[in-house]
Amino acid sequence: MARKSNPYSVIGRRQPKLDAPLKATGRSVFSDDVYLPGMLHGKILRSTIPRGKILNIDTSQAMRLPGVKAVITHKDSGGIMAGPDQQVLCDDQVCYVGDEVAAVAAIDEDTAIEAAELIKVEYEPMQAVLTIEEAVAKGAPVLHQYFEDNYADEKDLKFGDTEKTFDESDHIRTDEFTINPTHNCFAELHLALVDYSMPDKLTIWTPNQTAILIQQSMATSLGISQSKVRVCSLNTGGAFSGRGTVRPHHLIAALLSRKAARPVKIMADADEEFIICRSGGRDKIVLKTGVKNDGTLKVIEADFMHDCGAYVETQFIIMTIVSANLQMLFKLEAMRYRGRLVYTNNAPCFFHHGGGIVPAQFALGQHLHCVAHDLGIDPVDFYLHNAVGKGHTTLSKTYYASCGLKECIQKTAKKSGWKKKYGKLQPYRGIGIGCGVMSSGGKGMFQHDTSAAFLKIDEDGRLSLFTGLPDMGQGSHTTMAMIAAETLGISAEDITVVSGDTDIAPFDVGAFSQRGTFTTGNAVRAACRDAKKQLEKTASQKLDVKPSLLVFKDNKVYPRGFPEKAISFEDIVFDTLHSQEGRYVMGRGFYNSPTQKPALAYSFGAQIAEVEVDPETGIVRLLRMTVAHDVGRAINPLAVEGQMDGQVFSGMGQTLFEERLVENGQVLNPSMAGYKNPRPFEVPEIEHIIVETIDPYGPYGAKEVGEGPIACVPHAVANAVSSAVGYCFRELPLTPERVLEAIRKKNRQQ
Amino acid sequence: MRLPRFEYVKASTTGEALAALQAGDGQTRILAGGTDLLVNMKYRIERPATVIGIRTIDELCSVTTGSDGSLHLGAGVTLSSLAENSLIKESCPGLGRAITAVGSKHIRNMGTIGGNACLNTRCWYYNQSQLWRDAREVCRKAGGNVCHAINGSERCHAINSSDTAPMLVALDAEMVIQNREGERRVLAREFYRNDGVRYNALEPEEMLSRIEIPRGNTERRTAFIKICSRRGLDFAMANIGAAVSVKAGRCSQVRIVIGAIASHPLILEKTAAVVEEGGLSEGGMEQAADTARTELGTLTNLFSSAGYKRQLAQVLVKRVLQELKGSSRNKRRAGK
Repeated sequence: MARKSNPYSVIGRRQPKLDAPLKATGRSVFSDDVYLPGMLHGKILRSTIPRGKILNIDTSQAMRLPGVKAVITHKDSGGIMAGPDQQVLCDDQVCYVGDEVAAVAAIDEDTAIEAAELIKVEYEPMQAVLTIEEAVAKGAPVLHQYFEDNYADEKDLKFGDTEKTFDESDHIRTDEFTINPTHNCFAELHLALVDYSMPDKLTIWTPNQTAILIQQSMATSLGISQSKVRVCSLNTGGAFSGRGTVRPHHLIAALLSRKAARPVKIMADADEEFIICRSGGRDKIVLKTGVKNDGTLKVIEADFMHDCGAYVETQFIIMTIVSANLQMLFKLEAMRYRGRLVYTNNAPCFFHHGGGIVPAQFALGQHLHCVAHDLGIDPVDFYLHNAVGKGHTTLSKTYYASCGLKECIQKTAKKSGWKKKYGKLQPYRGIGIGCGVMSSGGKGMFQHDTSAAFLKIDEDGRLSLFTGLPDMGQGSHTTMAMIAAETLGISAEDITVVSGDTDIAPFDVGAFSQRGTFTTGNAVRAACRDAKKQLEKTASQKLDVKPSLLVFKDNKVYPRGFPEKAISFEDIVFDTLHSQEGRYVMGRGFYNSPTQKPALAYSFGAQIAEVEVDPETGIVRLLRMTVAHDVGRAINPLAVEGQMDGQVFSGMGQTLFEERLVENGQVLNPSMAGYKNPRPFEVPEIEHIIVETIDPYGPYGAKEVGEGPIACVPHAVANAVSSAVGYCFRELPLTPERVLEAIRKKNRQQ
Repeated sequence: MRLPRFEYVKASTTGEALAALQAGDGQTRILAGGTDLLVNMKYRIERPATVIGIRTIDELCSVTTGSDGSLHLGAGVTLSSLAENSLIKESCPGLGRAITAVGSKHIRNMGTIGGNACLNTRCWYYNQSQLWRDAREVCRKAGGNVCHAINGSERCHAINSSDTAPMLVALDAEMVIQNREGERRVLAREFYRNDGVRYNALEPEEMLSRIEIPRGNTERRTAFIKICSRRGLDFAMANIGAAVSVKAGRCSQVRIVIGAIASHPLILEKTAAVVEEGGLSEGGMEQAADTARTELGTLTNLFSSAGYKRQLAQVLVKRVLQELKGSSRNKRRAGK
């Protein structure tokens, strides 16, 4: 696509990921590739009932099995918590099928499996609560002793006068939606390798998206100081918001390692993954909207319930995201939101890729699609009419310093040929539009949202950049290298990004809430500016100009307007060190957004989906996606497009295919054969449109593309299917059976 | 997941394999491609004491033509090599389609025709880990007395998901079964049983050695269609194999077989009779599809609802008849 003229030499270039050769040749190292001398293999014995008392645990046979080095139960873990309401190993009660009851460590995996099977547990089953409806019903058993009912958390927000605005509305519509459970399908299984052989230091290798939070909660849970915990992060096969907290298997590996005085590795089995992964839970959303006849949105009211399963950790984020999302895309006069997290005896649920945005956007998308349809207004016109813009302040007092929502809607509509297609396609073909908004940064969830960075420049001009930001495949390290390279006028290939060890890396909250490019990017830029100042001192003496007139570009330094006087970057570094002062160049920087709001910058997107429905089988094919995203500035357009593609894929999966089927608390389809996540065959044709609004706070104007695009996908895809069959869907995912049922209902109405 | 411990016997002749089978006292399994067996062993739903490798037995790995023109497929021939076989492409393209519908290229490189024809039946309540199964009463397929798919049922309802099975039945194929005493032949339509536990006619000491496809007359047309929610690398939600002889607009020897919705491939005899009566006219095909819907008997909600299975069966019958109508006659080379 045509781009505006680019004033930069590194930023905005299509830079292949710096680690691509390693990944492509199989040389990248993951946590499971680490083998330590004397390492044992751990296995966890899990509850076979959804709710009940533990009467007795007999480990004697397991302990006698040759090769077994440690067996632990709640007696060994007593008092150690894996979460606010969860013990590491169940004490006297189990709360879901899969709850951790005991664990073994043995010389190999086969012995560990055999030993786990030898542990005998006696249960007294209790009445289990398996649905939201059962949990909130009068007289339902209360599942956690510290609560009076089964609501784990509640949130009630009100902006403006909702009653008055509903009264003033010309049309009011209410819809109820159900979103079924999903699974993340991480490419890399859950794994923890812990060396706690000696009590003075605990080292853990585990895939994660925030080493610092893993470090903090390991230390807190085990009651040791933070610096005694060293978290090593190698490559991570997918994070999707699900690798940010300590889970029981991390602590169990630590306890086994301490008891056996040897390193212990625990890796989940493929089907165990479906129990412990904490993916999307079942949601119920009721939406009520008031609108004027000309299509002006006035008020939205939402009631949201989430089945969080047996235990909570940070599910409140889902409620925050869902509530924020309702009033951030469109101009509203009033909004009311009620959200509740509900305890059940299902496996603990968190959220799938998109942090709760997919359920919210599916519901909002179908709901508004129907509102526009009721009024006889083209959805594109409807969204354009109501879209927020630059300078807008939302009901929750969030200010948009940059906003490309309208531009995204207009560009996708033009590129996809919306006007020629909407309502004019052949039967069972459909086109639908979706919009989305996403914050860059996660302040508000934590008190501070800090990233720090430091760097050193060696004599040959090569730079080592130290960051605590992990790269889970999204290309964050390449982005950081590009920001550093641009700031210092060198090339990204001259930079080594050093990360993945809390003993070395500086503080960084981690890679979530779309904070990497924005927050860590700003920290990296600050560190580079610090180093640049040190180099400017040398260069200004050598070139006899003021530092402010120096240009750092293409591995050279020269006075502005006199490129022929250039000295190489390497020589400046060399001279800085080899002077009487002997200055070794090191830069340091940090960034913490000065606002008290969740973020300073927000990105926006619009997508248009085109689908084909087989009216006899209900099978939907996503044919084409036109994707526009306002990224502020595209640091690396290649990576931006990669993020768009990945999120279209994941969003399509959650909208059309993926459903974790649960019966009596058990997952019926815990395998990649049974769980129908899409495959590369299903990838549609994708058209990329990068919209640049140059954010005043982002590094080089950049915002995010980490989860923004996925917000639009369920919205657009469901609307396209809805257009194709003329039916408003109220349950996700749109499996062939549900689509066929919709077609039948539609035909019966006629 | 890890494989349980087992003894491995590499057989170099059929005789060696049969001897090992008999010696195994029912605790022995044949390993051809392993794409089904090894997965089940990792789930610990099969724990054979001994596994017999047959990939090095030449006689099981060849495709030949019988004196009557029938096609003899060795049970150990890989699906990939059969997919390339010109005899199959020419004389029964429907079988070719069924073979390439199995799994992925990687799976077809390993998997064999005998293995796919003998594919174990599958169920949500059986194909699970030990931990999963420990949470429920032992089901019929695992040796117990209950069926979780249909409460109170007297038999196991696990589903036969083989892609080649319905086509083999439609082609009137004969399964050649061997044991130490000799061999016996069973028609494919009798080989498969409507029971998820005893899903085929093989006894513990027997093995399938060959599948014979009759030559068929020159008017024979064959077709196969598979429906899955994803475009590939998936078990069928339903599939269909069909064969018909068309001469001067008249249909005879009609075989229509639906797979992947019951414990065995379902032979739709009434539907076939409708086609023999009404031919491949638009009206005839619609009528046949409607008949199919009523002919299926009791279905389970395993993998998809019974109602949806019925709908798919109806659609598949219509589509397969349309394909048979459009397909050209067998392009069997003269003299073969």
